[in-house]
Amino acid sequence: MTLSWVPEGVDTGLPSAARLYDYLLGGGHNFAADRALAEKFLKAQPNARTIARLNRAFLRRAVLFLIDNGIRQFLDLGSGIPTVGNVHEIAQKADPDARVVYVDFEDVAVAHSRLILEHDDRATIIQEDMTEPEAVLEAARKSGLIDFSQPVGVLTVGVFHFVSPERDPARVIAAYRDAVAPGSYLAFSQFTQDLQPEEMAGIVEVMKKSMNPMYPRTKAEISGLFSGFDIVEPGVVPLPLWRPEGPNDDDPAKAGIFAAVGRKR
Amino acid sequence: MQHDDLAKAWARAISATAYVPLSPAELEALLRELLDLLPKDPETVARRLVEAHVVGPESLRRTIDLLLPVFGPELLANLSSCYAFAMRQDAFDQQEQIKLALLASKRHAERTLKVSEARFREVFTSSALGIAITDFSGICVEANDTLAEIVGHGSLVGRSLFDFFHPADAQHLHLAYRKVREGLVDRFREQRKLIRHDGEPVWVYLAGSLLHDADGVPAHHVTMIEDISELHLLQKNLDHQLLHDLLTGLSNRQRFVTQLEKLHLRGPITLYHLDLDSFAVVNNGLGHDAGDKLLREVARRLNNVVPAGAVLARIGGDEFAIVSPAGNVPEMVALIQEELTEPTFVDGHGIALSASIGVVDRPALGTPIPELLRAANSALREAKARGKRQWALYDAHADALRRDHHSLAAAMPGAVESGELEIAYEPVLNLATRSPLGLHARLRWGTLHHAQTLALAEETGLSLPIGQWLLREACRYAAEHPDAPMLHVTLSALQSRDEDLVGHVKRTLDETGLPPSRLRVALNIGSVVAGDDNVQVLADSGIATGLDGFRGGYDHLELLAELPVRAVLVRAPVPAPDSVLHKAIRDMVTAVHALGAKVVVDDVASAADADWWAAAGADAACLRAV
Repeated sequence: MTLSWVPEGVDTGLPSAARLYDYLLGGGHNFAADRALAEKFLKAQPNARTIARLNRAFLRRAVLFLIDNGIRQFLDLGSGIPTVGNVHEIAQKADPDARVVYVDFEDVAVAHSRLILEHDDRATIIQEDMTEPEAVLEAARKSGLIDFSQPVGVLTVGVFHFVSPERDPARVIAAYRDAVAPGSYLAFSQFTQDLQPEEMAGIVEVMKKSMNPMYPRTKAEISGLFSGFDIVEPGVVPLPLWRPEGPNDDDPAKAGIFAAVGRKR
Repeated sequence: MQHDDLAKAWARAISATAYVPLSPAELEALLRELLDLLPKDPETVARRLVEAHVVGPESLRRTIDLLLPVFGPELLANLSSCYAFAMRQDAFDQQEQIKLALLASKRHAERTLKVSEARFREVFTSSALGIAITDFSGICVEANDTLAEIVGHGSLVGRSLFDFFHPADAQHLHLAYRKVREGLVDRFREQRKLIRHDGEPVWVYLAGSLLHDADGVPAHHVTMIEDISELHLLQKNLDHQLLHDLLTGLSNRQRFVTQLEKLHLRGPITLYHLDLDSFAVVNNGLGHDAGDKLLREVARRLNNVVPAGAVLARIGGDEFAIVSPAGNVPEMVALIQEELTEPTFVDGHGIALSASIGVVDRPALGTPIPELLRAANSALREAKARGKRQWALYDAHADALRRDHHSLAAAMPGAVESGELEIAYEPVLNLATRSPLGLHARLRWGTLHHAQTLALAEETGLSLPIGQWLLREACRYAAEHPDAPMLHVTLSALQSRDEDLVGHVKRTLDETGLPPSRLRVALNIGSVVAGDDNVQVLADSGIATGLDGFRGGYDHLELLAELPVRAVLVRAPVPAPDSVLHKAIRDMVTAVHALGAKVVVDDVASAADADWWAAAGADAACLRAV
């Protein structure tokens, strides 16, 4: 694969879910392989661009909801490559003192985040696997940006469908839950087979061959992950139904992803 | 006002085309501002639209559809071209950004690689493990100095690692490497032998795994080699210590048992169990060092006589065992004794030794090993019972008797507990008139009579409680039969020495209500000779006493002179008709009488015997129960 502007020796041949997401959002931080994957993705789920937009919009609403509820520190798990409307931008626009720790494992995403965050001393990126909570929490503590005696907004938005059952998702969530203070929040969204099962099966098939195979979850499974949390209204719902800011024409049945926010008891 | 509605409609039109990280109100406000700006500065409007991320594939078309009627084609064409330019700029910016990110991640990866390469170098050169990277034919591409030291060869690069495998291990190792190469296993780790360059063997742990090249294709083997020769020696040493006697270097009991088992399976054997006679004397007299020297010497000498194919072991302090293919036992025993008799000089003392030897010859093939060892030990005890320097063949019959006795002894506590012991009352007769003088309370347990029961009780340490039980039961019996004659109770040796005897007798009389005048207690004469004053105290308490086991020796007669003894109990067979003992016994009876005591003969077998004793002057007799 030849791209004149891509530095030599960097393997851009393997598509990444983070760059696919960027592309679907209309971003330019992606390579031909990512776009090729995106085309297949779009074939399986023609509504993919909308789903990406709705998911990104949910992230924004969720962060603002958390801000409204007093959260000033965020742990964004699987943050991916910085694209439009990043958590620290949303949070710091609301309160410049808000602190954000991004967590991602992929080299390019981490390098990109570092560039973006170079001059922001209230946000940082740590390179860890979000399914290894002990390592993540250890690094988050070391960053000095998060005070675990105070409530934390833990975000896993549009990323948990990459966590395989073998990684024991309930254990992962429980570990973060146990590490944060009561009154902390978990904002969560992921693909589901409950909406448009055929399209979902197509996506799973497409992603099987990528670095990031996907594991959709049912509403019940997602609700189960919120053990120890009180799920706030309106519960586990398709993206556009989660506390919309105004009237919109988005069809919840085609939103692909369930979203929910819970408050730690 | 018209622009407010237009902005609202515009926001509706584009909000579904792209993600704009603004609230609807914010977006409307932005678009309202852009509407005002559009006629004057379409370029800025285009730039700010792109900045706000109104960049969806449909964003521009919907914008034009909506705004065309208001602003006309020329302005919107201008806006479109500016928008395209801004998008291009944005794309360049983003590409620049991700290029920087890629570069950074590459530099990071390179740095990590460099660090890990340096680390690898450090590990490789300073490791206590020998490390070799070889091609698939075993040729070393890289090998560290440690490995060179282990195999005693200069640089190994270019040499085959396989050349150093011990021939016995080579084939197995090649197979192990192949399994790794074919991906059947990730790695192997084995304890193997290498042959050094100088031909010496080296024990090693050898771990092999596969090294992939940059494309993930298997390219080399990595072999790590740990020299465990010292460990191996230590292990061997430990194994040896576990199975050998440290003092003599002979096999210990544990190892002897396995070897005995092996030989026993192979054919007829003879098992000798030796115990040095009087070894304790050496140990106590000359000290343990001398004892140890002696044991080493004995081991050496026994080694001289042990035939080929036999095993000699030290299986206890001064006990040795030999197992050999079945042979001539008396010859072997003679050889052993002869070898031991030759004096050994330890610290200037010449010591001649002998051994007691128990022999099990040609035991039945299926005999279990513990049974064999027990049999040899049983024969050894038999030999020891005969004196020093004796040997005995295992005798199953004698052994069975001994075992019966042991099992009886073992059963006795249970028998006492469950009331199996009985009391038999034997008449005591006036020998002159043959009228009953009293009743003698005797123990009985099944077919065992008093003496046998008491002997077992002494062995098992139960004689004191059994004796007390006998006294109490007999007193109760006598008290319940006021017309019955005098009660005679013979105490066991232990009971006779009991410090609390007098108190116990008194309490028993109190409890049972038997008047002291109706009880005669005979104490074991051995206990009295030993200086116990129970006789005196009992007499002082008004209880008549006798001495049991009287044999008429000087010490016994002396007791009669000193103590207030009412009678002596004699147990002796009637002598043969022409024996000089007739007179001797008569003289003894006279002597006892002269000292003021009566003679009671115990265990008289027949009326004729009673007649003889009557003629000899004895006063009373206990007839043996039939």
